[in-house]
Amino acid sequence: MAAVIIPAVLRGKVVTDELVAFGGRSGDQGFLAPDPSRLLDRLPLRDPAGLRDLQELPFDEIVAFLAEVGRNLSLNTNPVLREAMDQAEGFSDATPPLVRSSFEQLAGFFTEASVREMADTAIGIPYLEGWVPHHMGDGRVAAIRAIGARTVHIVAGNSPLISALSIIRNALLRSDAVIKAPSNDPLTAVAIAQTMVAIDPGHPVTRHLAVAYWKGGDTSIEEALYQPRNIEKIVAWGGFASVTHVLRYVRPGLELITLDPKRSATIIGPEAFASETAFADVARRAATDIGAVNQLGCVNARVIYVIADAQDANRLGARIYEELQQLPEHLSTPALRFDPELRGNVQALKASPDFYEVYGGHSDEGAVIVSQLDEPVEFHRALADRVANIVPLNDISGVLPRINASTQTIGIYPDSLKTELRDTLAMHGAQRLVSLGYAAHPNMALPQDALEPMRRMARWVVDEDCDPAQITPLWATAATTAGASS
Amino acid sequence: MSVVNDAREFATAPAEYFGHSWHAMHHLERDELEELQLHAMRLRFEELRDRIPVLDRLASDQRIDAIDRREDIVGLLFQHTVFKSYPASLLVKSKFAPITKWLDRLTTHDLSQVDVSQCRSIDEWLDVLDSETELRVAHSSGTAGTMSFYPRGASEWRQMMDGIKCGLFQFSDPLDERDHSEDYFDLIWPLFRLGRSAITRFPEQALPVILGSPERLHALRDGRLSSDGMFLAGRLAAAEARGEVDQVDINPALIERRDDFVREQRELQGALDRFVNEMARELEGRRVWLLATWNTLFNMAQAGLDAGMESVFAADSLVSTGGGSKGQALPEDWEETVKRFMGVDRIQHAYAMTEMAALNRMCEHGRYHFEPWIVPFVLDPDSGELLPDEGEQTGRCAIFDLMAESYWGGTITGDRISLDRSPCTCGRTTPHAARTIERFSDQRGGDDKITCASSDEAHAKALDFLTDRLA
Repeated sequence: MAAVIIPAVLRGKVVTDELVAFGGRSGDQGFLAPDPSRLLDRLPLRDPAGLRDLQELPFDEIVAFLAEVGRNLSLNTNPVLREAMDQAEGFSDATPPLVRSSFEQLAGFFTEASVREMADTAIGIPYLEGWVPHHMGDGRVAAIRAIGARTVHIVAGNSPLISALSIIRNALLRSDAVIKAPSNDPLTAVAIAQTMVAIDPGHPVTRHLAVAYWKGGDTSIEEALYQPRNIEKIVAWGGFASVTHVLRYVRPGLELITLDPKRSATIIGPEAFASETAFADVARRAATDIGAVNQLGCVNARVIYVIADAQDANRLGARIYEELQQLPEHLSTPALRFDPELRGNVQALKASPDFYEVYGGHSDEGAVIVSQLDEPVEFHRALADRVANIVPLNDISGVLPRINASTQTIGIYPDSLKTELRDTLAMHGAQRLVSLGYAAHPNMALPQDALEPMRRMARWVVDEDCDPAQITPLWATAATTAGASS
Repeated sequence: MSVVNDAREFATAPAEYFGHSWHAMHHLERDELEELQLHAMRLRFEELRDRIPVLDRLASDQRIDAIDRREDIVGLLFQHTVFKSYPASLLVKSKFAPITKWLDRLTTHDLSQVDVSQCRSIDEWLDVLDSETELRVAHSSGTAGTMSFYPRGASEWRQMMDGIKCGLFQFSDPLDERDHSEDYFDLIWPLFRLGRSAITRFPEQALPVILGSPERLHALRDGRLSSDGMFLAGRLAAAEARGEVDQVDINPALIERRDDFVREQRELQGALDRFVNEMARELEGRRVWLLATWNTLFNMAQAGLDAGMESVFAADSLVSTGGGSKGQALPEDWEETVKRFMGVDRIQHAYAMTEMAALNRMCEHGRYHFEPWIVPFVLDPDSGELLPDEGEQTGRCAIFDLMAESYWGGTITGDRISLDRSPCTCGRTTPHAARTIERFSDQRGGDDKITCASSDEAHAKALDFLTDRLA
């Protein structure tokens, strides 16, 4: 088989020369990509004033261009995207039907309605479009604008939607992006950038996007690139390794925005057992939260706390396992490579029926482990590949010690329990509470990981009009009252 | 003698079966050995299925009712985590009745009548099992924050030591031309005299067969290494690595003993120099057996050489080791240092683990030879399927320990090995593994893969980093 060639796309130019080989470890496919050291002088936008073309572009035109990109992200008509999808199967941890389904969702992210909502909810379109005046109590008029920044994005590769999201956020903020592609998804950002080049290589949005692959932590690239003269911000997704690589470059003038690795939880109230209808509904919703995109995301359900006795918990576990097997192929499939350590751990629990009931886990189809006592399995941090752990509890207080700053999403049933618990869960560190069944169905316009990444990615610049007739100038104040605070 | 009876003696008392000759153990024709092993596996399955509930359940799940071929056993191997498949909180809360009930499902020894209601610690619980049953449980070191309990019985320990003794003459009597039945060793043991982990049980169990009398046991420290101390230390270390120390439940009775545990550990480390001096004085010129990990061997030898001691013991002394350097960086010539201090010209390397009642020694060609009562398998690391018999195969090590007659000897381990079944250049006919053996858990994680979902490993690394920075 010929090696996969993954181009770099640098500000409207597709680069496929001076290829070097990457990856190919631990059963994964390797690929060829342009030698990153040869790209170094073209990767960053050296002149900060180079953002002017984007700043002068009306917001509507950015939205229109993104919408045009979206229309072109069709697998039927876009051979580059089609090829990226076909090749993605060699890199992804997801199975082919799920890779396909993710690629099919890309276009929907770029629609006018979607990107407008993102800009308006996260920032407020007027702040992107121009200077928004604020009449302050002391008499000054402050005009505030969200200005773009030169940013490196170290994106996660467990979903191609993360690359798409990074590209959209960058365009809406009128920022300049250098995207470092991940080895588990080296293709998506490149394919989207190539699509932009095909539409208009000279468009300012196209010209402020560079996508390349280098091995994370390669100091010969990163020392040269991660300099305040090249970039103002680094957005780092994912594992500790990617963040540590970056930490040493953080200094005044270079801001780091980390989107830490997270895990999620689920809380199911006693109402789940109130009727057969509720029971069936809860089981389907919980199965969806576990199985969607094969539990590869931080949002997926893993440990499920149920206010019930072990008998009811077992009944629910059996039903969730059944529902898990019924999930449609575009949403969830048996794992691509079932973690052998996890397989061993699940098998071992079958030796202890007094403590654990295991539903499934026959081959690679997933499993639901029901703890018979009120604690999660010892390996709960390694739950993956559609394996969940139901933990029965007498009351909700048992959940709280398990919630912390790495708990991103908590799917809750019923909604009334969510309202009841939200202040407490929030204080313990939880970041997103959502109706059971919607954990893996986020809206990207909303805050993420308890912060607002788009607001952090913008530079909030203020222009203050100060009229001496309105504000007593410092030069005219009496010595005793002089001070900047008056 | 029928093949079945033959297989029974071969499996249960291999030292006897082979006339206490390690040479004979490793020079049976391959076909003959495999035939014996197959019969012995069949025997164990037939006799244990109805008596070990966990095995019966696995056999039913796997729909395996007979062992017709060697590979049939693969579906019946236990995951090594089976021996810790109880909720750790039971141990923390000293609820030993349910743990005993759990353990009862893994052994033919009847634990149902054992009263553990008064036990307030792991030490007390194991005291009761030792005194009231035939079980001599071997537990794991507990470093991951959990503790495995391996239900080896007194009779298997005895057979294990008989078997191990045969290999102690690998260098001094390679063809086993002499009778060693009255041949006893002075054991230099740089640890507590007693303990219940797989390693610290060793002197107690070796005493009757290999040492002959208590005077021949030269331990660094008297007394017993506390199993509770090991559990506590492991649990705290694992929690610290995850940044969850405040969430660790600890038995209050243990917190009071923590200072003692810490002091004992410190004393153990500080006492090594003194111990080396004592041993040199007491045992100079005599034949000894020194058994320790690489780093301990090296540290002892270095201490001795620094004090001007060289070639201290008799030339037919034995130094045995395994388990690597335990994270300590050793100089490349550490073996030379040890040999110089001890006065021996070779070091015996062995591959061992709790789940094998054996020390599998390395031959002159750098290959670990499995003792004939250990049937090794190599499984595909991802699928768990058995890899072919021919050539050198690398993958997950699984073993069937035929010696086990009161528990199930089939285990899938966490080790990555390269195994070859063809006769070795050294002339031995037993299956042999390459020198490099790694833990699968040490090599997880892809190359530059970034995901938003958290893993245990990531957190452990994060905390290592933080503690480094804060220290």
